[in-house]
Amino acid sequence: MKIRPELQALRSDDTPQRQAQQRLKAALDDWRAGSPIQLAEDELARLAGGAVLEDLPLLTALFTPDDPSARQFVGPLISKLCAGLAKAPLGLVPLRHFTDDALASIMLARSGFATLSLQVFDGAGMARRPRPVSVSFSPSQTWEQVLAGSAGAELIHCRQTYPDRADLAVEPINLRPGTALIRSNRQTALVLGNLEGCLVTLRLQRRSASGGVTREYQLADGALIHQAAGTPRESRLELTAALLGRMGRVDAAPLLAAMAQEQGGASLRWQALRECLGLDTAEGFRTLCAIARDPADPLATPAGALWAQLLEAHPQLAEVEPCPV
Amino acid sequence: MNLPQIDVSALPDLDTLTGVFGSLMHPVQAMASDDTLIILMVFVYDAIKG
Repeated sequence: MKIRPELQALRSDDTPQRQAQQRLKAALDDWRAGSPIQLAEDELARLAGGAVLEDLPLLTALFTPDDPSARQFVGPLISKLCAGLAKAPLGLVPLRHFTDDALASIMLARSGFATLSLQVFDGAGMARRPRPVSVSFSPSQTWEQVLAGSAGAELIHCRQTYPDRADLAVEPINLRPGTALIRSNRQTALVLGNLEGCLVTLRLQRRSASGGVTREYQLADGALIHQAAGTPRESRLELTAALLGRMGRVDAAPLLAAMAQEQGGASLRWQALRECLGLDTAEGFRTLCAIARDPADPLATPAGALWAQLLEAHPQLAEVEPCPV
Repeated sequence: MNLPQIDVSALPDLDTLTGVFGSLMHPVQAMASDDTLIILMVFVYDAIKG
């Protein structure tokens, strides 16, 4: 393995790295002291709590077309961090960040389901990637302001959804400094086209607290090719339900029965129901019947089918609950 | 009442499966428009002090 001399030196003495981190932290603190980031964080917390953007003056200004506030907000931060990194190229920016050959992002602030971040798209890196073949729609909202660079892009509108596909409509747009986009990601997605140099945007995103699913459709024909839980919580609970099942935790059956009947994602509820059936046949079957009986429940049809299937395989289940589906 | 033990693996899934939060078929392109992605990173630390 090849280890560069700078890194080799740090293995025996990491003092320079710790000092570099302290300097970058100081640069960040310096920016925070002279910027309205505290106000932005306060407004972000209110946005995460359900406030509308129009009631939040700073965030509104940051995402108003051609308003200089966004550039003034992040400009000093970039100057200070770049100066710090020039002196310490191995330094890590003390904000959550990500970079690959096409995209770099720094999260400036976060509150609950809302994030404020800076994105840089590299034209050369983007050009090396395959053309997009799919587009995804998630339960979230995005406000975006272009700070630098220009690009062709497409807004993909999801006009109508069906169980296995969606009607998609393409709207070409041009992005230039000062362009502001507001979109509900349930209905509209952004696909970047060719861009010269770099495109820098400030992005505010709020995920839906109430869940929902992210759906990915093929651009060519609108076919549904994937769907995923809209919140980490749903996935976490689904994994928890599966784990309780594998552990044979019979005592968790009432909890799983309750989860299966709550207002939540269909996938989570169905998995909770399956695990409940596996742990406690009577409890699970009663829950299955309750779901199958409720015509307003989106799981009523699959629950009815499963009820019939189980009853055919195990006629004695009729004693648990006579279920008039 | 003598009830059967139900095998979870024999129970059907819904017609459309739902993946975990952040999963996509083509995540690379989607990153341009959506922050709701999970990127797993592997760090390998050299534990031998030299």
